[in-house]
Amino acid sequence: MKKILVVEDDEWLAEQYERILSKNEYEIFMVNNALSAMDVLDNSKIDAIVLDILLPENTAFELLNELQSYADTGCIPVVVCSSLAGEISFDDIKPYGVVGILDKTVMAPNDLLLELTKILS
Amino acid sequence: MGASRGEHEGFFGGSLVDGLPSIVAAAHELKSPLALIRQLSLMLEDNEVSETEYKYILRQISLTSERALRLTSDLTRSVRLSDAMFALEPINPHQLCEDVVHELRPLFLAHGRNVELVSQKHPLLLVANRDLLRRIIINFGDNALHYADKNTSVEISITKLKAGNIVRLSVRDYGPILPGGLVKILGKKIDNLPVTISTRPQSSGLGIHIASQFADVMNGKIGAIRHRNGATFYVDLQASRQLSLL
Repeated sequence: MKKILVVEDDEWLAEQYERILSKNEYEIFMVNNALSAMDVLDNSKIDAIVLDILLPENTAFELLNELQSYADTGCIPVVVCSSLAGEISFDDIKPYGVVGILDKTVMAPNDLLLELTKILS
Repeated sequence: MGASRGEHEGFFGGSLVDGLPSIVAAAHELKSPLALIRQLSLMLEDNEVSETEYKYILRQISLTSERALRLTSDLTRSVRLSDAMFALEPINPHQLCEDVVHELRPLFLAHGRNVELVSQKHPLLLVANRDLLRRIIINFGDNALHYADKNTSVEISITKLKAGNIVRLSVRDYGPILPGGLVKILGKKIDNLPVTISTRPQSSGLGIHIASQFADVMNGKIGAIRHRNGATFYVDLQASRQLSLL
């Protein structure tokens, strides 16, 4: 079973992601901040990360930098899921392991599943 | 809003020219709840949820809508502050906070948290505008909900300061430490919100800015105290003198 780390500080949106992904045989780890994300990465082998941009405390960009500092986390594909998607340049964050950007304001519930399926297959 | 085009473009780093909430800031604040409502609604349309889940999601939609509507209502009120007269009157803070707890509790319980009033039954009366003060405390409550850890209780309390001349209403959450950037802003009385969006947590800046404006109208002030395990947001207001006049 593939393991997905969801870093999202809106609890109910994170639940929604879990609702969709867990029906498709993904094991979901949900955290609401960057520090907790690093804790999960210390203890589990994660196959992909779903990352919100606006987080309490550290921002997603700090987490992306952190991920790139280690060989084992630097190769984990990251899907950014944000309401700021329209203001982020994919070319700018691609070097940080980001393989896709989803816009929360226009995405359909299954878009995240399709994106992860595409990445992990 | 009386602001010319371009004056509100400072959301990503600059300050507001006219002190009014930025249209861009407001739009960003409303994106999150609207995006969530949309996702949940689409989920219901797909008919792939159980009856229990269906009811649960509907509840989330209504509570999220109410929260977003509170923000829009606060925004409207804050923009009209200079045009309107807000009557100040002696208010029983215990009763007002009880009403706020009653209003916020369903949202908190749905998030696996609680909100409670921790106060003596007969605190000093204070001088305020009932509607604005209610909005400030609800605003602090919404903010606390975002930061409070699961299964904790947010506490609303009433204390007297300066030999009873000031009454402080506080909202204390138990969770991660308040971001340093936000404390810094509060130290400057939040006159120049918003700060850079990257240093701001998802949904606190604009609400706090509005609360600060409401407090100003009532000759009060807001502030924050950082704790090891959470934060307290408070508003200080003048105690009522009516008892001493009797």
